[in-house]
Amino acid sequence: MQKRARINAAIVMSIIILWLMIPLGATAVYSLFEDWTGIVPRGFTLANYKTIFTDTAFLSAMYQTVLICVIPILITIAVMLLALFTVTVYFPKLEKYMQLLCMIPYTIQGVILSVSILILYARNDSVLSQRMVMLMGAYCIIILPHIYNGIRNGMRAINMKMLLDAAEMLGESKLKAFFKVIVPNIMTGIIVSSLLAVALLFGDYVIIRNLSSANVNNMQQFLYQAMKRSSTEASAVSMVIILITFAITALVLALQSRGMLEKMRNEGK
Amino acid sequence: MSYICFEKINKKFGTNHVLKDIELDVEKGQFVTLLGPSGCGKSTLLRCLSGLEQVTSGRIYLDGEDITAVTPRHRGIGMVFQQYSLFPNLSVRRNVAYGLKLKRLPKAEIDQKVEEMLSIVGLSDKIDQYPAQLSGGQQQRVALARAMVTAPKVLLLDEPLSAIDALLRKSLQIEIRRIQQQLGITTIYVTHDQDEAMIMSDVINLFHDGKIEQTGTPEQIYTRPATRFAATFIGNYNLLDAKDFNRAFGTAIPQPEVAVRPEIINLSRQAVAKGEGLLVAEGKIASYISHGNLIRFSVDVNGLLINADVLFEDKREFAQGDQVFVTIKEDLVIGLQ
Repeated sequence: MQKRARINAAIVMSIIILWLMIPLGATAVYSLFEDWTGIVPRGFTLANYKTIFTDTAFLSAMYQTVLICVIPILITIAVMLLALFTVTVYFPKLEKYMQLLCMIPYTIQGVILSVSILILYARNDSVLSQRMVMLMGAYCIIILPHIYNGIRNGMRAINMKMLLDAAEMLGESKLKAFFKVIVPNIMTGIIVSSLLAVALLFGDYVIIRNLSSANVNNMQQFLYQAMKRSSTEASAVSMVIILITFAITALVLALQSRGMLEKMRNEGK
Repeated sequence: MSYICFEKINKKFGTNHVLKDIELDVEKGQFVTLLGPSGCGKSTLLRCLSGLEQVTSGRIYLDGEDITAVTPRHRGIGMVFQQYSLFPNLSVRRNVAYGLKLKRLPKAEIDQKVEEMLSIVGLSDKIDQYPAQLSGGQQQRVALARAMVTAPKVLLLDEPLSAIDALLRKSLQIEIRRIQQQLGITTIYVTHDQDEAMIMSDVINLFHDGKIEQTGTPEQIYTRPATRFAATFIGNYNLLDAKDFNRAFGTAIPQPEVAVRPEIINLSRQAVAKGEGLLVAEGKIASYISHGNLIRFSVDVNGLLINADVLFEDKREFAQGDQVFVTIKEDLVIGLQ
């Protein structure tokens, strides 16, 4: 009976997965089409992929996407680590307020955020009025909840206060102990949240379009341009973006399962 | 001045007055236990000595130096915590070597000291393993080695065995005491387990409600509890007020309350004559509980229940409802403050 129920569940799941994969499969097949003859394509080709991987604009978009992902992530991680260290060690009562502040970006739409930033800083004479700075700032805000959660969960899992106390009793300063003992132990959480942030920023079109379309050309903008040129090329670009995002997600899941295995091993399970 | 000296220590967390005018002296090389129930302030006093908590008022002296305002890392004190506090990303070797590296000792000397210390705690074969690969008892032994390898002036142990199962806990109690005696290190141990305190300590300080209720050797604390709390916490004393005592034994006493240890009460079927320094009462066995090596009989004496421990030799001597004579040596009746 149980076996039959399992088979039924597997059949239902397979149908759902197939259903969800249809657009993806169609895009993949479509990206391989050579040319339309009316109802069917003339043939299959990898020319679209060859075109985009030899296009300097694509490589530039890829490079710029990585750059505008990595810098805000590094800034946010550094700020969050120091902020969480200070709050946890010196002002634990402020932690709930910090959590509240860090969760606010979840509720802000990209359009609202980018327009608000423009209104606030566009006419400013300081460095904050530069479009790249605005973009980086906006990205720091967008990924804040993800980075916060990743680091905070990592800290909760290791009893940070006690490890800091132990290091301090051995002659270490609190700040050094934090970076030598705590950070290595929450590295999995930091990497996972960073990869999630990369996946999030990788798909951004709205914020970059509003804030810095003249300065930066990211993957989503390249996709938009490709759609104007050729639909099959646009499908190839979409497939590349999907595969990169899939690879990042797979890496996140692998790291998370490794973290869970380590936790289970620590608990003697 | 003693090696460690607490002078009128007060500690408040907001409106909660946790330590109240604590005065305590510890001599060099002693194994001193802070014993008491949860929330009595014993761990707070230990953390004040370590520097992880600041005192609200009072002074702490260590080896003649006022360390009240000194930061924890400059106090030269080692500490083992209640929970496993090993650094998960470092091997046993690197955990134990952590404090030595901060002292910038040569690598060869560090290696030698680490190996020596791990040999003392019996974990030489685990030197390259990680904390996750060790049992709870092994982790605490590594934590002990890590705390002691830097040769601290004082070793603080904050309920280090509370997370370990009963059988292993007993062997570790003896092992910690052996290592402490071997190295002659001044040790302050916090526990809520009176048996643990009895087994390990040179001196016990019994804490109650932020104050030291009584200080003494394990024998003194056990045989001469000064207060009702001490008698209740330390053993399974029978506590009788003057009126009840008079009702049971027909003798008036000057103290308002007395304590009688169950193991010094003698039960017999044969009538016992009252003699010089001997208190006798007649009663009936109300109930009994087996504790393995002894049986605790509850005897109803004129409506008053008195517990008496009898060594379980071959078979249980008395049954429920048996008439018995209860005999106590008068000089073993302890008057309480």
